Amino acid sequence: MEYIKKNVSLVLGMAIPVLMIIFVAGSIYLPGLFIQPRFNFLYATGGDNYYYNGGQQYVVQNGVLVQNEKKNQPPTGTITESRLFLYDVTRDESREISFDEARGMNLNSNLVSPDDFEVVPGGRGGGIFPFDFNSGVDYNARYVQGHNVSKKINWVRSSGTYYYNDFHFLGWIKQ
Amino acid sequence: MATKEETLQYVQTLGELQVVTKEELIAAFDTGKGVRADHTLIKKLDIAEILYYIGGAIVFLGITILLAQNWSTLSFSTKVLATLGTGIAAYFAGLVFNKDVRTEAVGSAFFLISALVMPVGLYVVFDKAGLDMNSSGTHSLISGILLGAFLLSYALSRKNVFLLFSILFGTEFFFNLTSFMIGSGPYFDGWKFSEYRTLVVGISYMFLGYAFSKNEHAPLSGFLYGFGVLGFLGSAMFLGGWKPNQNVFWELIYPVLIFGTLFLSVYVKSRSFLTWGTIFLMMYILKITSEYFSSGLGWPLALVIAGLAMIGIGYLSLSLKNKYFSA
Repeated sequence: MEYIKKNVSLVLGMAIPVLMIIFVAGSIYLPGLFIQPRFNFLYATGGDNYYYNGGQQYVVQNGVLVQNEKKNQPPTGTITESRLFLYDVTRDESREISFDEARGMNLNSNLVSPDDFEVVPGGRGGGIFPFDFNSGVDYNARYVQGHNVSKKINWVRSSGTYYYNDFHFLGWIKQ
Repeated sequence: MATKEETLQYVQTLGELQVVTKEELIAAFDTGKGVRADHTLIKKLDIAEILYYIGGAIVFLGITILLAQNWSTLSFSTKVLATLGTGIAAYFAGLVFNKDVRTEAVGSAFFLISALVMPVGLYVVFDKAGLDMNSSGTHSLISGILLGAFLLSYALSRKNVFLLFSILFGTEFFFNLTSFMIGSGPYFDGWKFSEYRTLVVGISYMFLGYAFSKNEHAPLSGFLYGFGVLGFLGSAMFLGGWKPNQNVFWELIYPVLIFGTLFLSVYVKSRSFLTWGTIFLMMYILKITSEYFSSGLGWPLALVIAGLAMIGIGYLSLSLKNKYFSA
């Protein structure tokens, strides 16, 4: 205690950055302990969406997943189909499902779920050279975000490489 | 043997008669205690020392360019030897040169080479180990290792140069660790978060500078005050934002921060506070006039007032400097 009183400036100088680290950790991890998303969602990856009406193979109409009509055929070869996945928010897992299984689901196509969460891409550029200049940028990541909580999700890329537009959100699965 | 009171009275008399200076008294006291003063970073650099440090930086450039140009052709062991090996060798060379007062500055130049080259060496090793070189986690690991190494060196030798590198690597570690914690999370705006971190580092530097100004680490105060107030006032200005996305809180509180800095310049006797406070006050006036008074007839009038304010600020700054900082 005597040391702290005699060296207040030194202690404050070292404590302020440490307190900020603790504050940042608290603001990231604490809200997630009390608030969790409750609705699973459906998404699609990959596929030759260009050949379908509306530029997407799958869309949600009146709460049901439908497949758009093809508008033209490729000059050679076949069209690659999009893959459908159901994301389980409690287990942080993606499970591939067939179109027939997805068609039987009751979907909410709003971007924001009934419990006020939405799926957003990662980002966060900026930074100051040489400290942390632009590190941490990941536009391919996806997060479930809401109520000051953001949780990174494990989503399945179509070809193993990273493309920003590979992820296509379809709808929240009504319970 | 004289009593403590008699001795202090005698020292007071010597001071009144100016028989000895304060530095001579402190040097005599340290000699009696067996403490050798750290001459590095105390006096102004002469041309030889400037050349030492430039030479050290050029050595670092040479090694980095060698690596960049021959990355795919050099073997792993060669890369490690050229970087980490050189860094460690330079460190020990620095220790050897530091033993002699005449070559202390040369020793510091070798420590500079070591501090610049060792991160590159660690990058080479971790890259071979398969870690993602673009990840904040890897950057945190490297800066953390070097922070630990230089803190340990400081603990063993009490050299200011090790303390300086510890502060620099500590700053790097702080930025990288906080970046690692937030990842690419969408809740944190990249630039705003960096501005707040710079604000925190600036405040921390100023406190450390004040703490060090009273002991054997006084040579570091100038550096800490200068970069601390620059980071603090610069980030506070950016946090104010620009119309129409301005942050009213930071724009309103900024003059308080500026005048607080100018006041503190007298209290802590720092020219950096005075200089940067003056510069940022001028920038603030220009910013506010361009944001809020740049349309219609108000703009020319605002420019005239801003110009007159600049003259007034410059005169005030010079007066403070002459009154409180002249030798």
